[in-house]
Amino acid sequence: MCAQKPPAGHFTILYFASASSYTRKQHDFFSGPLPISKLPDLLEERYSGIKEKVLGSCALTVNLDYVDMEEEAAKAEQCLVVQEGDEVAIIPPVSSG
Amino acid sequence: MQPLHLLDSQVRSLRQQVQSTETQLRNLKIQLQQAEQQCEAARQLEEAWAGGFPHEWINETLAALSPEAHQAVGQESQPQSTHGRWPLESEEYKRYGRQMILPEVGLHGQLRLKKARVLIVGAGGLGCPAAAYLAGAGVGTLGLVDGDTVEISNLHRQVAHGTDRVGMSKVDSAVEYLTSLNPRVNYQRHPYHLTPQTAISLFEQYDLVLDCTDHPTSRYLISDTCVLTSKPLVSASALKTEGQLIVLNNPPLPPGSSNGGPCYRCVFPRPPPADSVLSCGEGGILGPVVGLMGVLQALEAIKLLTAQPSPSSTLEPPKPTLLIFSAYSTPPFRSVRLRTRRADCAACSSVASITSQSLTSGSLDYVAFCGGTSPLDLLPPHARVSAAEFARQPRDGTNTLIDVRDETQYSMCALRGSVNVPWTGDAESWAQAAALREEISAAGKACYVVCRMGNDSQLAARALMERGLGADGGVRHIEGGFRAWREEVDPGWPEY
Repeated sequence: MCAQKPPAGHFTILYFASASSYTRKQHDFFSGPLPISKLPDLLEERYSGIKEKVLGSCALTVNLDYVDMEEEAAKAEQCLVVQEGDEVAIIPPVSSG
Repeated sequence: MQPLHLLDSQVRSLRQQVQSTETQLRNLKIQLQQAEQQCEAARQLEEAWAGGFPHEWINETLAALSPEAHQAVGQESQPQSTHGRWPLESEEYKRYGRQMILPEVGLHGQLRLKKARVLIVGAGGLGCPAAAYLAGAGVGTLGLVDGDTVEISNLHRQVAHGTDRVGMSKVDSAVEYLTSLNPRVNYQRHPYHLTPQTAISLFEQYDLVLDCTDHPTSRYLISDTCVLTSKPLVSASALKTEGQLIVLNNPPLPPGSSNGGPCYRCVFPRPPPADSVLSCGEGGILGPVVGLMGVLQALEAIKLLTAQPSPSSTLEPPKPTLLIFSAYSTPPFRSVRLRTRRADCAACSSVASITSQSLTSGSLDYVAFCGGTSPLDLLPPHARVSAAEFARQPRDGTNTLIDVRDETQYSMCALRGSVNVPWTGDAESWAQAAALREEISAAGKACYVVCRMGNDSQLAARALMERGLGADGGVRHIEGGFRAWREEVDPGWPEY
């Protein structure tokens, strides 16, 4: 998926499961720093429909720590800021087996 | 000279004393023998565990070793324990020895496994390997829940089933395999699908639950039931080339206890949109990927079951993690640190709304919560044709067949002359891709859209119609897709 480092001034975003199917990618590099609450809209711009069809049910992590997006959105200006070089992961629930 | 009757009485008394002392002596000898056995066993355990085992583990095992010793004192001819000197039968030492000699398991761990009752919900790609390893490890009771029957498309990954058992109940097939693997386990068959009404009474009979199912509805139901019955839950899933593993509700404290482990709703409070949920049949699955996740479930179960019981209040609760496996990524494993229980979780928080009553009464509708799917029916009758009808269309270049399956399926089998524009999941981006194809944008041609099952083709046909593409020749989708094509037109078409 993403052994390579993001270019300067960017962070990595990893797509798993249906997020990867929807974007048809395993990762992207986005420019940062970026307040985490702005990420869904940024993704929606690039991948129309992703908010409703994928992101709504996903877990999201920053550097392998679970982030509660509703909680972050409620903090507005005080929300977590994704820094240059960070790794964000979009983790949809996989229910098959 | 004493009178004769006094001498007689003295003889009788002495005889009685001898008899009673002999009985006492016999009792003492029995007690000595038992004490010697216990002492020898303790010596061997001390020797075996000289490598630094906590002392309380020795005590716990000793207690298990000699349950009769405590009540034997003063009782006459206490029968030998049914299993002799050792708590396990000699075959069990041979069978489980390779794991018992690990300090993480040991005799105490093996005894805990033997005492344990584990419920596996789902006897498919996850359940088969999980059950096999737990049966092999000597779990005392293994319950299997599954209402399905074995199909040939299961066999590349569902390793407990076999070609000669196609059509058999998955539970029966798995028990047949598992019994041959380890006949010492007590297998409990539950050959039906789990329902909210029966889940609680079923889970109450077990110590630990493995979620090996394949749908969001069962994932929420199993998690909620584990919270309500205070059972830890080992949950795994897999699709395509990826898998997930989480140990939930561990420790299994009552709803509202903030030290309890998070439940499935804490991690994924909202189910995915129903129309985006893919089964292994739709999305595909690589056998070893789901096998790996099932094996990891068995491993987590063994870790939980063999762990030394401890007063939970004194220990920090285990840190919950979500393990993500992605076979074609580098690195393939990622372990995500999860939060504790959600303060507003519907199942496990102090404000939980889900109760035993709401489950057993059936008032909690999991299908509605996850959004039930009904067959897609988007298009007016004039925009639909049957596969048989399509087969009668002329092949003279006056029409275009658009196959919206992905590239991989298209390259497995396709109709000659068809155009492959894979459905993207999004009308706008798909229509853009379609518009680039001359065969579709050319004026006057009729467009027929086909997919595997007849759902994506409706979405794609609607995307064309809404954008006026192919408008003059007409846009139609082929009902039932290639499945219908196989049934109505070409029985030689591959069924996959």
